[in-house]
Amino acid sequence: MSWTEFFIVLLTCGLTMLACRVLPLFLLKGKELPERVEQALNFIPPAAFAALVANDLLSPDMFAAGVWEGCIPLLASAVVVLVAFKTKSLLWSAVVGVAVYALLAFIPIG
Amino acid sequence: MISKNDIQKAFSAALPIMLGYIAIGIPCGILCASIGLNAFQVFLLSMLFYSGAGQFMIPNMYLAGSPLLSIIASVSLVNTRQMLYSASFAPQCKGVRKRLAFLFAATVTDESYGVNTTCFESGNWTVKRATLVNLFSQSSWALSNVVGVLVGNAIGVPLAIASFAMTSIFICLLCMQKITPANAVAVVLSMAGVFLAKALRLGGAAILLGALLGVAGALVFSRFFTPKKESASTNRSSDEA
Repeated sequence: MSWTEFFIVLLTCGLTMLACRVLPLFLLKGKELPERVEQALNFIPPAAFAALVANDLLSPDMFAAGVWEGCIPLLASAVVVLVAFKTKSLLWSAVVGVAVYALLAFIPIG
Repeated sequence: MISKNDIQKAFSAALPIMLGYIAIGIPCGILCASIGLNAFQVFLLSMLFYSGAGQFMIPNMYLAGSPLLSIIASVSLVNTRQMLYSASFAPQCKGVRKRLAFLFAATVTDESYGVNTTCFESGNWTVKRATLVNLFSQSSWALSNVVGVLVGNAIGVPLAIASFAMTSIFICLLCMQKITPANAVAVVLSMAGVFLAKALRLGGAAILLGALLGVAGALVFSRFFTPKKESASTNRSSDEA
């Protein structure tokens, strides 16, 4: 990638990103929000986390590489759910999640 | 200004993100080096653009021979979900100085959004501390990317395993949400929406579309299933109904 191409990508992606990050906050900040809007804002966290998890775990071709391969992230996720409820710790969840995922990935099945 | 206590609290909140960013930042730097970006360019990208998903997409699409315009369009589409995070932080930034609010808003990511939201909910959290969390995370991301460029492909950890650190963090954040019927509706519909969007080849916007479907569904649900007397209460109790 040339410097020119790099600068075009950096500038355009950087600006659209900045707009998405900053504009909604400044448009809503300091305003008395209608109850419905406030309620909608409160539903963003569960909806967004669920979407992020689903984006990582689910796709129509998730079992394309094989049933076992498709099950590895799901099994590791089930363990992370247990750890998350037990410890409430992001760090423990991440450490255990990666360890279980790596362990399952190295089990030769199929 | 910033007390030692602020820094300590913010650092311990940011630590899981920082470690996760090391795990995925190094492979990201390696990938960026493979399309000929140098350490300085990758540093600029990490500081000014600062997007995990985006910084993986750019080299991937470039390697696949996509034209610049389609790279820019796809990356920007994927990042539209940031608008939701931005909107959801508006109440917390009420009365906060413009410059601080700007710095905070400009450095929000999926992960720091999650951590700061949880911290704000548990109370005793300020925009100042939240901004520190963002900046700690950003430093870790930028440094890890630069390290990735410099070490090159010497480290052989498969990306699928390293990136599961982030998936685990999202799962944990999801598990820490209040369990209410309306939240459950939001979760189920979001997940279904993401799957559906991918099946319809709208993968780039899957997160945004899924989350919007979840929020809309939960609003409709709570409109029809919330007892009338609850409807005038504050946001805290209304989603518990």
